[in-house]
Amino acid sequence: MKTMHVATLVVASLLASTSLTLAGPETVSGPGADPTCFAPWGDDAKYMQWPAQEGPYRIAVVNGFVGNTWRIQMIKTAKAFAEDPAIKDKIAEFKVVSTGTDAPAQLGAIEDFINQGFDAIVTIAVSPDGFDRVIRLADKENVVLVPFDNVLDTDAVMQVNEDQTEMGHRWAQFLIDELAAQGKTGGKILEVRGLAGNSVDRDRSAAIHDAFAASGGNWEIVEVVGNWDDGTAQKVTADAIAVHGQFDAIAAQGGTTGVVQAMIDAGHPMVPIAGESENGFRKLVAEHSADGLKGISIGQSPGLVAIAMKAAVSALEGNVMPQLISVPLPVATYDQLKDGENFWSDLPDNFFTVNEFPPCGVNISGPAIMAQSEADVK
Amino acid sequence: MSSKLANLASSIRQNRAFAGAVLMLLALFVLYNILHPRGFSSAVLIQNANESVAIVFVAMAQTIPVLLGGLDLSVGAVMTLSACIASVLVNGSPLQIIMGMVATLLAGTAFGFCNGLIVVYGRLQPIIATLATGAIAMGLALFIRPKPGGDVDGDLNWAVTNSLWDFVDTYGFFDPDAAWFAPVAWIPVPLLIILVFGAGVWLPFRRTVIGRTIYAIGSAEGAAYMSGLPINRAKIAAFTLAGFFAACGGLYLAIQTASGNADITQAGAYTLNSIAAVVLGGTSLLGGVGGALGSLIGALILRVISFYFRILSIDPLLQPLVEGLVLLAAVSLGAVRVFRIKNRLDLFR
Repeated sequence: MKTMHVATLVVASLLASTSLTLAGPETVSGPGADPTCFAPWGDDAKYMQWPAQEGPYRIAVVNGFVGNTWRIQMIKTAKAFAEDPAIKDKIAEFKVVSTGTDAPAQLGAIEDFINQGFDAIVTIAVSPDGFDRVIRLADKENVVLVPFDNVLDTDAVMQVNEDQTEMGHRWAQFLIDELAAQGKTGGKILEVRGLAGNSVDRDRSAAIHDAFAASGGNWEIVEVVGNWDDGTAQKVTADAIAVHGQFDAIAAQGGTTGVVQAMIDAGHPMVPIAGESENGFRKLVAEHSADGLKGISIGQSPGLVAIAMKAAVSALEGNVMPQLISVPLPVATYDQLKDGENFWSDLPDNFFTVNEFPPCGVNISGPAIMAQSEADVK
Repeated sequence: MSSKLANLASSIRQNRAFAGAVLMLLALFVLYNILHPRGFSSAVLIQNANESVAIVFVAMAQTIPVLLGGLDLSVGAVMTLSACIASVLVNGSPLQIIMGMVATLLAGTAFGFCNGLIVVYGRLQPIIATLATGAIAMGLALFIRPKPGGDVDGDLNWAVTNSLWDFVDTYGFFDPDAAWFAPVAWIPVPLLIILVFGAGVWLPFRRTVIGRTIYAIGSAEGAAYMSGLPINRAKIAAFTLAGFFAACGGLYLAIQTASGNADITQAGAYTLNSIAAVVLGGTSLLGGVGGALGSLIGALILRVISFYFRILSIDPLLQPLVEGLVLLAAVSLGAVRVFRIKNRLDLFR
């Protein structure tokens, strides 16, 4: 009983002392370290700095949903990058867990790693809100929390992402330009959206609509929901073609291989298309671009995890970091596609092609990731 | 004294599955704490309790329709709906916050009541009726919160997701460092919420005529009817109570994440996990045997299994496989009684 008493007093005083001396990052002025890799998001970007800590560090990746190719490729990339000579010596322990789409489980896992004394936690948030408590705890313990891909609606943590609004704009602008080259300044566009309720889907879609509205043409945009998944996207595209007959162009947020497959199956004429970076989509564009399937492929890369890990290490070393790190969009248009370079005809369709970020020293090529068996990356 | 011991022994014999689940949970949890660098500390207990509350309540909600011999596929959706309602209502002045919480719980309870009405007077199988109403609940949740967000009171979030010490400290009820308070100051608030709302509602309910009728319906509905038990009232009560527990889970989820999110996949995962927790806790899917406290334990077992992935180095892509195998093994332990039966006909009892 007495030891319990002492323990509670210790715990209580620990909590009391930490709540008084709120640690965590300081807001500082830029520029940040290594700006070619850690590019700040916009000119008014905030900068953060954590107290420098001695390496090597313990880093954890807390993934949410697992079960699509993108996430599996992301996990493989994370493990391959942790073994990369550029960063291997700086990492003492590396753990990856996937909690599923379960917010309390993800929050619990992050808190668990904070309690275990990990130095940095890289995560894909299952919800853009609700992380206030773990952010507060991470700041108390000087743990660097780095959400990437599905980021949080807050400026209290350092985050890594590609600019989804920019991506939507580039897609729409490409289609507008291609249609203008055909002499069309209006028409019917099919938009295949992503997972409903997600911030990425919201931002990309809004940007596509804005760009078409800004062009001044008479556009009718038909929206269907494809969940970023080939099967779903193929089905909804087939339905949309059956109902509307013909579209002048297609903008797909993901599952683009399925979208093109549905066009081919329905005998839909080959029209300009904007889509993700799936290997299958790039294969089809390379094959059919002469028939009119003029495509632009911009990818949300699973390699973002490597940049998030690198940013975490840089922050732990005490460098000044932008609060929001913008990773340049990997863009390839139909005239730039080259087999063996930015797509691979011998790799599966659902493989995501963009993984290399030369300015960051992240050079894990597609075949290298796919070549790794489970045993190799352990 | 000896009669008390005999009572305990016979109660364990009668609730063998429940006792087994408790033992399994204790073993798993103690080992986890031994392996954890900060095991047996208040911080780890708080974290574990926090992430368990929602699934515990949803599992308890699932138990009651299962005791009837049915399944409720809407529990995850009702939890999500309640969380979305709470994310709109639970803020403002203390009175508004309390009214918001009450309104959230009432909304979930009312939804459960409607489930019961549909099952009883629509004469539909619970599994089909709740599949449909679950979709309705998700639709309402998406209507209330088309994209994630909301602002649940920040103090409330901090106070109920921590130890009693922080709870008292946040609201300044009295000096949290008072000597008399120290022995209980470390207890996580979420654990108390589970005990007060879970056990506090379930145990008295089970002793009522309605509560016992639910068990009777699950064992033999015809016999229960012939005995003059209030069948319809019991069924409606079962679904209503399920709605209440699901709403408790949703309310906590909203407070814990300080927001609401109409996440369809999450709702589905909670519904499926609730069924797993019910089975782990020793409740028979055929109805009539088990209880909500067993599901509470079952949900905790489900959670503790996943805790291990954070301290052991298991290949991330193999984790779902390992989790599934452990779960299968755990559920199989419940079938051990098959080896002890003398007559194969007993299997059908």
